[in-house]
Amino acid sequence: MGPGGDIPNRPVPPDERGRPRVGVDEWVAQVEERREARTGLTGLVTRFVSAVPPAGRLAVFGAAAATLPFWMNRGDLFTYGIFTLLYILLGLGLNIVVGYAGLLDLGYVAFFGFGAYFYAELSSPQYGIHWPSAASIPVVVVATALLGLVLGIPSRRLLGDYLAIVTLFFGQAFVVFVNVGNPTVAGKGLTGGPNGLAEIDPLDVFGYELTTRTQQFYLMLIACLVLLTGLHFLSESRTGRAWRALREDPLAAETMTIPVKRLKLMAFAFGAGIAGLAGCIFATLLTAVSSGNFDVPILITIYAVVILGGLGSLTGVVLGAIVINVSFQFLAPENPPGNARLLFYAITLLLLALGVRPWWRLGAILAGVVGLGVATQTFVEAVAPGWTGGPVVDGGRLAGAISQWVVIPPAGHGRFGSFAYVGLVVAILVLTRLRGWIRTAALVPVVYLAALVWENSFVEQPAVARWILFGSLLIVLMTIRPQGLLGTPRVEVA
Amino acid sequence: MDLPLVFDSQLATQLFVNGLTLGSLYALIALGYSMVYGILKLLNFAHGDVYMVGAFIGYAILNGLGGPISPTIAVAPLIVLMFLGAMLGSGALGVVIERFAYRPLRDAPRIAPLISALGVSFFLENSVLLLLGAQFRTYNSFLLGSDHPKQFIPGPLSDAVFVVNGVNVQLVQILVLATALGLMVALTLLVARTQIGKAMRATAFDREAAAMMGIDVDRVIAVTFFLGSLLAGAAGVMFGLLFSQVYHLMGFTAGLKGFTAAVVGGIGSIPGAMLGGVLVGLAEAYATGYFGGRWSDLIVFGILIFVLLVRPSGLLGTRAIQKV
Amino acid sequence: MRSRRATAVAALLALGAALAVVAAAYATTPERPAAPAAQSGSDAALVKCGKNRTIGVAAPITGPAGSLGQQQLTWAKYFVTRYNRSHKNKLQVVQGDTQLPDTAQAIQVAERLASNSSVLGVVGPAGSQEVQVSTGPFKAGGLAFITGSATRTTLTTDGTRKGYFYRTVPNDDQQGGRVANYIRSKLNASRVAVIDAQNSYSTGLSDTVEKLLKAAGVNVQRESVNEATVSDFSSLVARIPASTQVVYVPWQLAPKAQLFGQQLRAAGKTATLFGSDGLNDPDNFKIPGSYVSAFPVNVSSPIVKAYRQGPGGGKNDLFGLPSYAAADVLARAVDKACANGSASRAEVRKFVAQTNIPKSQSVLGFRIRYTQSVKLPLGPGDMQVPANYILYRINNNGVYVRVP
Repeated sequence: MGPGGDIPNRPVPPDERGRPRVGVDEWVAQVEERREARTGLTGLVTRFVSAVPPAGRLAVFGAAAATLPFWMNRGDLFTYGIFTLLYILLGLGLNIVVGYAGLLDLGYVAFFGFGAYFYAELSSPQYGIHWPSAASIPVVVVATALLGLVLGIPSRRLLGDYLAIVTLFFGQAFVVFVNVGNPTVAGKGLTGGPNGLAEIDPLDVFGYELTTRTQQFYLMLIACLVLLTGLHFLSESRTGRAWRALREDPLAAETMTIPVKRLKLMAFAFGAGIAGLAGCIFATLLTAVSSGNFDVPILITIYAVVILGGLGSLTGVVLGAIVINVSFQFLAPENPPGNARLLFYAITLLLLALGVRPWWRLGAILAGVVGLGVATQTFVEAVAPGWTGGPVVDGGRLAGAISQWVVIPPAGHGRFGSFAYVGLVVAILVLTRLRGWIRTAALVPVVYLAALVWENSFVEQPAVARWILFGSLLIVLMTIRPQGLLGTPRVEVA
Repeated sequence: MDLPLVFDSQLATQLFVNGLTLGSLYALIALGYSMVYGILKLLNFAHGDVYMVGAFIGYAILNGLGGPISPTIAVAPLIVLMFLGAMLGSGALGVVIERFAYRPLRDAPRIAPLISALGVSFFLENSVLLLLGAQFRTYNSFLLGSDHPKQFIPGPLSDAVFVVNGVNVQLVQILVLATALGLMVALTLLVARTQIGKAMRATAFDREAAAMMGIDVDRVIAVTFFLGSLLAGAAGVMFGLLFSQVYHLMGFTAGLKGFTAAVVGGIGSIPGAMLGGVLVGLAEAYATGYFGGRWSDLIVFGILIFVLLVRPSGLLGTRAIQKV
Repeated sequence: MRSRRATAVAALLALGAALAVVAAAYATTPERPAAPAAQSGSDAALVKCGKNRTIGVAAPITGPAGSLGQQQLTWAKYFVTRYNRSHKNKLQVVQGDTQLPDTAQAIQVAERLASNSSVLGVVGPAGSQEVQVSTGPFKAGGLAFITGSATRTTLTTDGTRKGYFYRTVPNDDQQGGRVANYIRSKLNASRVAVIDAQNSYSTGLSDTVEKLLKAAGVNVQRESVNEATVSDFSSLVARIPASTQVVYVPWQLAPKAQLFGQQLRAAGKTATLFGSDGLNDPDNFKIPGSYVSAFPVNVSSPIVKAYRQGPGGGKNDLFGLPSYAAADVLARAVDKACANGSASRAEVRKFVAQTNIPKSQSVLGFRIRYTQSVKLPLGPGDMQVPANYILYRINNNGVYVRVP
């Protein structure tokens, strides 16, 4: 792996193709060649991303993000824009610890929480302290980095999953401490117990308070861009290379006189510092913090961001955060169900169009699905008339078509959706095992079943459906690209 | 902070009984974690949810046979049926999960299946939520088989079997302890004495070498998942019998405890998982009993961190020799 | 390599500078300063009241509090179903999943609902911390939000949410006072254990009751347990001395309280359990001899009965009942605001403040009207007297019997 291993290698010039470069063995070369040969959307994206230099990528991201406030409403800017940036910030910190140094730190959110609580102590009515952000943020970041260092010291001895469990305990201990520990300091509960700390001051830039979501968004965007730049240079530096050496093989790194222990501590401290910064911003966004904000769910989200994006890749963190947050927000139940329905049918069509070639086969499948629907409807009406004609939830203009096509029993057959759901899961599992024309034929009932489940079950419970779809998305994405979206495939040396 | 109660043997013994019961439950969950880890080096975060599904299968069987207040068959065979159903169902689920979510990732970077496992976990929890709702279901083992459920007189399971010196032991606790012990002995024998056990050990030691020696690694891994999930299913029913309520998120906390127990005992080691489970259970009981629920979690975490700092590879784990 | 890097740095710095300038210019543009402008924008904006009017329902539908949030959602949706059956105009619901206890979700839900111009008012959110973080977005959007379960007293009495925040449950101080008084004077208890469940709701009530009992000279043992994560209370039970007469458990997960009661009895201890409104759940909490505080809901009223046979699936789900009342309050205000064909959020807020639901139509069992100013323990947004708690005793057959 050459310097800057977090950036996918640029395409090899044609005359060199097929001849492994120095430091790249045959296996990696093969993988790269396959990637070059990729057709379709994936190949296009991969080639585009690797063709643009890091600065260009950063500029594209910055410029695209900067336009968001001009065309998004406040709610969308907050949920799509600000939270994606928050996940990027958090992901960048975790990427140092896990992606660069290879330390499985499951206590990472405790640093995030520590930053948020510490900022809240310095800027809220809790103790009547109201420091300006320009003073409190540096203090909090340094303090969080020191905490990272302190936690790192006893962890130096621990390897792999034992480090994971000790840090996980640390994270849980933090949650328990702020929630129920709540020691009395200066006549008040330090952390406010389960109520947490409230009325946190907004961020201010040398006295000017940033109270609109737009202002907060731009501040976070600038913070992200600056961090991305800084981390890019850090990862290309001696330290960055040493971290990667440590990640690949700690023993070999040590024999090469790389100061392994110091590097581990540095990784902890850097990651913690960035988490502390994210914590400060988070506290001002919410104006109140409580222990529930820093529990396992957010830890899972950040890990998903970093691993999905590709460990050790800065562009990967950005991409991972966008994919995770946007897909999660897209599925949010607050969106009107009609939109979700259109999205569902659009994505189903798109997937079929991408996955099924040639076009006449696609046409046959679609015709089959429509035909199957009409036939089923007719059949059920004839056999069990009481089982059709249920209300289409928020159908809008599509309602008429759907009620003629998908069997929707009126209320009273509540179990119907459940059985259809179980059937769908089994059908999809079976589908993945089929090959050839049988698979094409099997797609017809599966797509119809999916529509059935959607109309009978998911529209009623959008919040639950969101998690099911999100979980499935994670499994599918990891199966397709185990190394993450922009991760480098690694040779596992036996 | 509350001051510890004055030490008295009655409280200590009572806490020992409580902790041991809880610990044997954790041990069963930890075994599944540990076995899978031993072979695949995979932290199977969906394991807790398999346990949850097991508990629900047990609940379904209990209610299919008349429910706790008026079961249609005698209590003893009913409980046996619940265990069998839950164990087989969970075992099958484990095999399916391995086949579809983990096998495609077998040669991927080690951390990738972690996300897959989380996906499986979200999927299972919320499928149960979608299908069965969020409300707690109760085994109501307190009244199971009771002659006078209306008067709230406990059935045979929750009635005190013997009260020695003020220490109260219920039949259900003995049942859970005995079942857990039996399953652990059976597992140990299976791994130590049978052909498949030998294959499992070989695969855990070196997967590639095992494959070269003609061992069907895919099958061995599937069997490992089946056995681990089977134990989780049994633990699910035990949980229902001991603590009555089952719900879609019960696997999360239990999974965390099982994972903890596995690591503290030395992940990958079967006796380690048993020891770790009992240790975590006892630590929890004593911390709660002596220091109250406010500080118990912190104390338990503290003990476990201390154990790991003194023995970084767990109590019975062997430090892997690094091959250069 | 060197020169490329230099170019990259230059490009980045230029980009950063440009962005900073854009942001600063944007931030200081006068027509976009923060809340007040946004408020006057969406606040007075008229929404055409066609056949469909939209309300938001924010509840922890998934996550650790899912069993409670699902009840609230089901009850609120049940109100909408009944309303739509009897009215020409239809109500539509936009659901929001707040996933308590992670308030980062609640604030996202609040921002989304506030930005959805068709939403006229909100039922929820559920927890007091959620109300805290959601207040900013809801106020900025001019939305009235009516909770069915956030009981922390200061949410109303601090006056900062006046005109926006309402609830259909009495607050902690009302409940705590009633309970402490009963434990002391009616049950004549001299040894009481108070066990909080390590969440905002429970610690608030526990603190109130503990303080009042101690002031009255009762010996109080304070305990604490996380009801959401702990499943075995036997070791906690071992800490409670046999001489304890009353154990106060202001919890919300009735099945867990039931288990606690069973383990208490199995350990041979006879203390009386005293639950809060969170345990007012005749299906799940039925330890004989126990007490719970609750609103005077008529369990045999047609609405509760119909719920039980319909969406409740055989359960009473009384915890979600106030969300039905909240939806009722909101729907009446929306109707009035829509009387002239269009409605604004400001109008809805005005009519919510003027709510007057007579006892005969109120599902809670008393007339619902709102206090407009601070009259401790009530604040603006709290229901006026006679809204208060009553007490039930659970008899030997597990039936809830009202006690004076």
